[in-house]
Amino acid sequence: MEEAQFREYAQRIIDYVVREVIGRPVELAVDTPLVSSGLIDSLALVNILQYLEDVTRMRIPASKVQPKDMDTVALMLATAQRVGKPRK
Amino acid sequence: MKFPEYSSQRRFGTLTEALLAAPQDRPFITDWIDEDEIHTVTFGEFAHAARLRAAAMRKLGVKFGETVILVMPQGIPLMTTFAGAMLLGATPTILAYPSFKVDAAKYKSGLVGVSRNLQANFVIVDDDFPAELVSHVSASESARVVRTSEMSFDLDDSDFVAVTNSPDGLAFIQHSAGTTGLQKGVALTHRSVMTQLEHLAEALAITSEDRIYSWLPLYHDMGLIACFMLPLVYHVPVVMQSPLEWVMRPGTMLELISTYRCTLAWAPNFALQFLARRVRPEDRSRYELSSLRALINCSEPVRAQSMDEFIAAYEPHGLNRNALKSSYAMAENVFGVTQSDITGSPRRIWVDSRQLAQTNVVVPVPSSAQATCFVSSGRCLAGNSVRVVSPNRKDLSDYEVGEIVIHSDSLFDGYFNRPDLSAAVCIDGWYWTGDLGFCAEGDLYVTGRKKDLIIVAGKNIYPQDIEEIVSRHPAIHDGRVVAFGLYNEERGTEDIVVAAELQNGVSADMKEVERNIRDAIVSELDVAPRAVFLKPPAWIVKSTAGKPARSTTREKLLHEHLELA
Repeated sequence: MEEAQFREYAQRIIDYVVREVIGRPVELAVDTPLVSSGLIDSLALVNILQYLEDVTRMRIPASKVQPKDMDTVALMLATAQRVGKPRK
Repeated sequence: MKFPEYSSQRRFGTLTEALLAAPQDRPFITDWIDEDEIHTVTFGEFAHAARLRAAAMRKLGVKFGETVILVMPQGIPLMTTFAGAMLLGATPTILAYPSFKVDAAKYKSGLVGVSRNLQANFVIVDDDFPAELVSHVSASESARVVRTSEMSFDLDDSDFVAVTNSPDGLAFIQHSAGTTGLQKGVALTHRSVMTQLEHLAEALAITSEDRIYSWLPLYHDMGLIACFMLPLVYHVPVVMQSPLEWVMRPGTMLELISTYRCTLAWAPNFALQFLARRVRPEDRSRYELSSLRALINCSEPVRAQSMDEFIAAYEPHGLNRNALKSSYAMAENVFGVTQSDITGSPRRIWVDSRQLAQTNVVVPVPSSAQATCFVSSGRCLAGNSVRVVSPNRKDLSDYEVGEIVIHSDSLFDGYFNRPDLSAAVCIDGWYWTGDLGFCAEGDLYVTGRKKDLIIVAGKNIYPQDIEEIVSRHPAIHDGRVVAFGLYNEERGTEDIVVAAELQNGVSADMKEVERNIRDAIVSELDVAPRAVFLKPPAWIVKSTAGKPARSTTREKLLHEHLELA
């Protein structure tokens, strides 16, 4: 994934997490731990994973995603690249 | 074609005998990962893989009679390892695999609790199992944790000779449903499992034309017994996908049933409602559900509204409304206790819920929007008996609500390594389920859990009735509501407390939402809640089955709101 694309995707996911999941203004970086720091609940990850699919236009088999793969926005994007497949 | 033997005599003495006698070329498991990755094995290939795994486990030192914990992702390797352990005469048990959806701290404590009780000598985990979690698998001191890559599969072992299991030997240990960590082990003999399957196959009129669909986890009885052991013994193909995939894309269940022409499936009540509300109407045209002859609503109280919503959504797409069935099942009985009639719809009874709350007796009334509808869970399977008893342990008559107690020829005789828990629920050969219900004309109706019942000034209020009312509010996340009773010393009775999750991104006036919810509860149930808490998305604690966990959520709420104490 190119740098510019990575930044664009990361910003969209950060905006989504702040707006839809946390629901209050929070400073998030691509490497901010989300679940392990208690910022978000693991159950919210289902919606985030669906959004990640929309942003990257990939299909991500949920069964291949481990808890550690979703702890930061950077890890989420790396996971999408590792196990995701182009959407049909 | 019907299997001619199933109703007259047992086909096989043990699960392993049934597996090894299966037609080699018949398809068994189709594991659907996504549109591009689908793995199918025949019974012959499955048995071959199970033999190789049995031989590999034997090389690792697994012995006859030993408990083997399996913590692997749902899929064919987990299933063949499970079967391989049985071929070796060991006792496998499946624990939930870590998922990004489950809180890591809760998962760890659950793993410690459940594995400690098992005291297994061997724990098999897959290569992706997080290293930091290995130390949380609490087994015996000499236990060995093995990764699947350490198992050497040697083709020379394909002639591995399975041990001859005795029908009275242990087959496996399954766990009762519950929040992870509170699950209790149920050790089952081959005879118990085979007896249960025989009754289940008879009630469902299983034929060689059947094909089962499942997204159900294999660490629960519904997934393990109905969707793995039943097809293994009756040589029926299964199409499965992971529970996570289903949660992410619920419509894939209907897609797979349509594509593979599946005839049987099981699902908890919430799944039917989820499918009716979550799958967009414009996406439904690709489904063709006419092959389904039984979609069995099981594992939680059956709600008429959920079934009706599902029928309304999918009858135009080939669903036969009579295909919706119901069943009352539990791990302690291997699986099923009752099953609704395989040829028709489950019976329904409408009652005046205010009167029921006062008298605890069901008086049927004509169906109406104001009446509460109870859906039957069907009649007892052969070999099973049900009684409904009062708090002072007297047998109740038809239409009187009390605790359901069961007896059967596949009933467990106590929780694994937990005689303390067993004594309270296993009395004179009967299992006290803790569920409430009533019988009417041979059918069993389950109304709720005894421990969850809220008693307000002598009125019996079922939390699920409140939860259903609150869920209907458009600002509330459907199904993410918990209601419970809290004793009020001043009033000498229980108060009703409600916690409800708001929909993502909702911008409603919170005071108005709360007022609407209160009004709806008062208007329908004639009781007023003491407190209604509106919580952010994902606040409510869920059980391993994905349902709101009332007792854990209650603890969380009391912890956050000390003013309630």
